[in-house]
Amino acid sequence: MTVQREMRVAGDTNVGKVRSTNEDSMILEPRLGLYVVLDGMGGANAGDIASQMARDAIRDYVMQRRGNAPARQLLEAAIQAGSASVFAASQANRERHGMGTTVVACLVVDPDHLVIGHVGDSRAYLLRQGRLLALTRDHTIVEELVDRGLLTADEAERHPYKNVLSRNLGARPETRVDLVDVEVLPGDRVMLCSDGLYGYASTEAIQYILGSGDAPEHVARDLIELALRGGGGDNVSTIVLEAPQAAPTASTVVKTSGAMAWWQKRQRFLQIAKDRGLPKNPIVRGLSPDEALELIGLSLCQAIFHDLEKSTGVNVWTFAQNLAGGWFERGGEWSAVRGLMDILHTCARVCVDEIRSADTQLGFLLDVAVSRALVVAELALGGLLAERLRVVDTDLIGLQSERAAMVDRQAIAAAETLSEDPDAAQPWVDRPTIPFLRPDRPVTNSGVSDEVSDAMAKTMTIARARTAPKAELVKQVLTALETVANDAGGNFATAVLQAREIYGVRSVDDAGVMPLFDALDTARSVTASSVQQIQATPATRAKVLLALSTAHQRLVGATTGLVLEASIPYGDRLREVQAITGELRDQVASAEKRRAALERENATNIDSSLPWGSRGTTEW
Amino acid sequence: MSTPSTRSPLATAYEVLQPRILQRLLDLRATLDPALGRMDEGTARGQINAVLDHLGTFIATGDMGQHRAFLHTFLAMRAAEAQSPAAVLAMLVAIGDTAAQVAQDEGAGTAEGAELTLLLTKVTATTARAVNDLIAEELERRLGTWNELRAQTTGAT
Repeated sequence: MTVQREMRVAGDTNVGKVRSTNEDSMILEPRLGLYVVLDGMGGANAGDIASQMARDAIRDYVMQRRGNAPARQLLEAAIQAGSASVFAASQANRERHGMGTTVVACLVVDPDHLVIGHVGDSRAYLLRQGRLLALTRDHTIVEELVDRGLLTADEAERHPYKNVLSRNLGARPETRVDLVDVEVLPGDRVMLCSDGLYGYASTEAIQYILGSGDAPEHVARDLIELALRGGGGDNVSTIVLEAPQAAPTASTVVKTSGAMAWWQKRQRFLQIAKDRGLPKNPIVRGLSPDEALELIGLSLCQAIFHDLEKSTGVNVWTFAQNLAGGWFERGGEWSAVRGLMDILHTCARVCVDEIRSADTQLGFLLDVAVSRALVVAELALGGLLAERLRVVDTDLIGLQSERAAMVDRQAIAAAETLSEDPDAAQPWVDRPTIPFLRPDRPVTNSGVSDEVSDAMAKTMTIARARTAPKAELVKQVLTALETVANDAGGNFATAVLQAREIYGVRSVDDAGVMPLFDALDTARSVTASSVQQIQATPATRAKVLLALSTAHQRLVGATTGLVLEASIPYGDRLREVQAITGELRDQVASAEKRRAALERENATNIDSSLPWGSRGTTEW
Repeated sequence: MSTPSTRSPLATAYEVLQPRILQRLLDLRATLDPALGRMDEGTARGQINAVLDHLGTFIATGDMGQHRAFLHTFLAMRAAEAQSPAAVLAMLVAIGDTAAQVAQDEGAGTAEGAELTLLLTKVTATTARAVNDLIAEELERRLGTWNELRAQTTGAT
């Protein structure tokens, strides 16, 4: 382990359980304040060469220029130098062509400030007050599509190219480097790693180990061990930096006197919890009151005590996750968790108030610390709730699609029934007009209420926000849908007029029709899923869905009518062509007859030795 | 005759401190939230200031209904930007924590600084609790919709 301006730093790397060579490289240079993780790629041993070449170039660059340039520019230029070095080598040797490396680098400016630079999918994380924050965003093709609004986060997660890098060092002489300034607070931890760590270990486990309070060298070793236990399918490297704790002030008081004062109040905490009815909460149903108090009350007391001692939030986080996670898995309701948390909150508040009445200063510090611990618990609960929401959302979209498919099947079945009707079998092209294109045709629609209209406006706002910025046609369709759905008169003319707006001037013989129907389909999906995001009663939501669905059907009908209308001249032209072809066919037949007659007449003039025979009949 | 101000001293103290909290948040925005980190300073300033302004109102009025309404709108707007509720919660807590940190740094050694730090920490806890309740309500609504749709689909087939 090394010490950089009071900052404690340690790193570790491992080849993993599958690979034969370690293509990762690292820089740990406390004199320069430079810490780097690189993850090489490319066949024929080129990956390790790429990461080592970039490593050397970056280190040399910083060594020669440290102190002569602002930190951001220095780090960016050093990474560019690494890219140029790998690119030149890959161009000079055919076997190394295509090699490259990712990089995540940390340049310590002073104990309060550092700069992170990165290219590719190696990452930097910051652990602050027990919470893990990502400092970098992977440079993958899919992430860039998400940034441009062309993919949603969910689509990105399922995308087949989610691991394909959009940037690395070595693909070009220059690359784009992302830089982040980090203002370091006392006790902060920064962790750099290759994808061999986060690809084989959960974020929660990484957070737990990083927030354990152990020394950086132990943390680095434990993180490597974590990735190996997760399969160790890739080389894994990590560097952990820890900012010095603040001068012995408030936090030291909380860690020592505060933690002890809290722990001495645990029996009082349990007593209040019992009085407040903790043993009656549905989550602990089946347990005796003492067991319930010990399982929930004492566990939280211990978690807060350990977090106060180590200035982290990891124990309270784990407590809340275990408590609510297990309950949700059993199908439990949120109200029980909220009830329990409120009881625990009250117990903590009473204990802290009692400490404060005896020692104002200590009580105040403890009040802040315990309030923060309870915020950490809420953060853990929020993560679980958000995950459940995501799962339900995914199911809802699936269910909506299933329902839409069912409606389509019913419509097809109805159409098939109609086609068996002799009247319906009459060819539509021979009808003088297309009935559903009559703008004055009334339909039964009483319009929509203000409440539904309001909910619909919210739905459309969300739908527009979820539409890619360049999808102009989809946005036009959304506007048309809203207008048709809000048409209080319920006249089909609105749908026809809107269809004409979006149909514009186009003919069926250029590629203008299919994108329009694709846009109509996209608009249907996006509005159906956006309805789920508004705050409204299920009944209102259903009405909005119905209104939008009806509007969509009308719009599709009107648009289809326009397409058919546009195709009528082509039908007429086809019939003209058929008539001309018939005439030509008759003329050819008549010419054939004349030719045969002439052949018969001139048969005697034909030499019998010729291949077509003595009677002049052709034999070809 | 002048009318005595009903604004609490802590609300006034927060108002005075708000520009410094905003500046600290702007400096740290890349570590607070990746989405905020990618924004230009003007846009980020607008978003963060909206939260800080509202916190000032909440400290002055203590109106929980208004607080919930603000959080509801904030969640919806961020959802429309494809931000998960967990990310929104983390960002709001980070803003509250930073505000408390600034209050602690700026008011070191004063009773008012200490009280404001504690108040901002408690406001953050209240905010986190309210956000979780809103997420839970939304979850319940969607589960209701899911059940309805499931019943309709099953009934129709």
